[in-house]
Amino acid sequence: MSNTYYGQFGGQYVSESLMNTLQEVDEAFEAAIKDPEFIKEYHYYLKQYVGRETPLYFAENLSKKYGTRIYLKREDLNHTGAHKINNVIGQILLAKRMGKKKVIAETGAGQHGVATATGAALFGMECTVFMGSEDIERQRLNVLRMEMLGAKVVPVTSGSNTLKDATNEAIRTWAKTAEDTFYIIGSAVGPYPYPKMVKEFQSCISREAKKQFAEQVGGLPDAVVACVGGGSNSIGMFADFIDDKDVKLVGVEAAGLGIETGKHASAMALGNPGVLHGMCSYLLQDDDGNIQLAHSISAGLDYPGVGPEHAYLRDTGRVEYVSITDKEAMDALLELCKVEGIIPAIESAHAMAHVFKMAQEMNENQSIVMCLSGRGDKDVNTIADYVAGKGYLN
Amino acid sequence: MNRIEERLATLQAKKEKAFITYLTAGLPNMEATAAIVKAQEEAGTDIIEIGVPFSDPIADGPVIQQASYEAIQAGANLKKSFELIAGLRADGVKLPIVFMLYYNTVLHYGLENFVKKCQKIGVDGLIIPDLPLEEQGPIKQYLTGDETILIQLVSPVSAGRIGEIVKSARGFIYCVSSMGVTGQSGSFHKEILGYLSDVKKQSPVPVMMGFGITEAKDVALMKDVIDGAIVGSHFINLMREHQFDPQAAKEYCARFKKELNLM
Repeated sequence: MSNTYYGQFGGQYVSESLMNTLQEVDEAFEAAIKDPEFIKEYHYYLKQYVGRETPLYFAENLSKKYGTRIYLKREDLNHTGAHKINNVIGQILLAKRMGKKKVIAETGAGQHGVATATGAALFGMECTVFMGSEDIERQRLNVLRMEMLGAKVVPVTSGSNTLKDATNEAIRTWAKTAEDTFYIIGSAVGPYPYPKMVKEFQSCISREAKKQFAEQVGGLPDAVVACVGGGSNSIGMFADFIDDKDVKLVGVEAAGLGIETGKHASAMALGNPGVLHGMCSYLLQDDDGNIQLAHSISAGLDYPGVGPEHAYLRDTGRVEYVSITDKEAMDALLELCKVEGIIPAIESAHAMAHVFKMAQEMNENQSIVMCLSGRGDKDVNTIADYVAGKGYLN
Repeated sequence: MNRIEERLATLQAKKEKAFITYLTAGLPNMEATAAIVKAQEEAGTDIIEIGVPFSDPIADGPVIQQASYEAIQAGANLKKSFELIAGLRADGVKLPIVFMLYYNTVLHYGLENFVKKCQKIGVDGLIIPDLPLEEQGPIKQYLTGDETILIQLVSPVSAGRIGEIVKSARGFIYCVSSMGVTGQSGSFHKEILGYLSDVKKQSPVPVMMGFGITEAKDVALMKDVIDGAIVGSHFINLMREHQFDPQAAKEYCARFKKELNLM
């Protein structure tokens, strides 16, 4: 096994039952990404099935209004409506290569669940998705989509009934069934090699964006911005820019009702490291070391931890991590709808809100590339309730 | 000498098998937990595992998840679990006690302080189900003495890892009977006998079987390859049925222990 850490973060904190499985996954993954046939197949499906490459759209109206050049990497235009499918295609091809017939997944907003159900339908695999009962309520549309695609959606009613608990249940089920089941983790979290796999399969976002920016504008953007829950779209958006030291990288966590209220999902705001879901990373936790409930209007950011590489990038200072409240995100969401005619996912709206803040310090010759990680169709009920002043679950 | 190792050496000399139970600290409260531990010492239970409740017990099935949740709601935490053990030792309880807990609870307390505290108050062993061999380095640097030892877990799919795991093991090897989580009755792994024999052959210390055991007869088939049995989820269910009555614990443990050694 290669080094499983990013600085002091990462590792493999799982039960002994899963250690050989992780070793097998690691070996299969390392062999696959060196195999031209595997890469060819992966890119074939990204192009012909997912619809890549996605546009790097120059948001002219926003740029004019905010006084700096704003580019949106349109991951919302992928098949299934978010960046999640990039990683699912990679991991499911790996599962197939390993001879597994069943896949399981956890999901928060339901986008990773839908992407996994989609991939499972495409490759003829049996699919079970674990989802917190509260998320099932607020993301009903995605539950229906998963079921139409032939997946079994298992409601999780332990703990806080959200993504954290769905992940616990997926890990438990995996520990029982690893002999014939592949666990497709959707975020840049979990035991090694998952954070590395997710980054690998999401790095198409930054690879394309970098090339598109060079073609459209020339050179490199001044800043790259993405939202961070567990951190999959952001690690994919940062990947190819990490070595370009002149490009400012900014990750946007969810501040919920505000960091000071304690009702937020910014795992990195307080800088408290711990162990959850097989990894050592920054976590929201209480005085006893129990994991605290995250809070965000966005189901996809409602997670008390963050991927270990993000924790490392925070500590080394390469990436700046900030947070955006529910209200700021919703204002930005409505702004993007009205000014550019794009309804973004609430997750992506967090990045948008921070882009508006950054724009104040930038001029019209500078450029920001933002990852528009998903579309907002799944959120229309939440948005409508918010606009009507009805509040929201959690 | 460590209390666990001492007890197991005595049993080995008498050619007896060990009977081990698991109980969540503070379910339904610390007084009840203390009373049940004392009753079990009288009944002849050899080692008691005390589960320190954690919010996200990923290696546990529904019974222990629920027990942990209720215990936390009732105010149980690591600090109170330490007080429980200190109180039991002050009352003269001599039997070996093992903490079963998740790594974040330990990490949050601070590794060095945690180990020192365990050594001082008489926690004889640690079972940390989400801390595989590869991640044990940091805590092992403090576990150098005899007072507190780290118990190693082995699973039915450990295969080539067994040798490395048992090599430096102390106390006993905790063999989980099935893949996955605690409390899956009657679903031992299909290759259970071969796997247990494999561990037994390689292990320098006694081999205990746990996960999904309710009665002594459950381990009858494996009696020649194990040195004892661990009952967790079933013991919690039993305690619930009897409103956490120490007398019920005493009767169950005495009977299990007797049947285990008649096999």
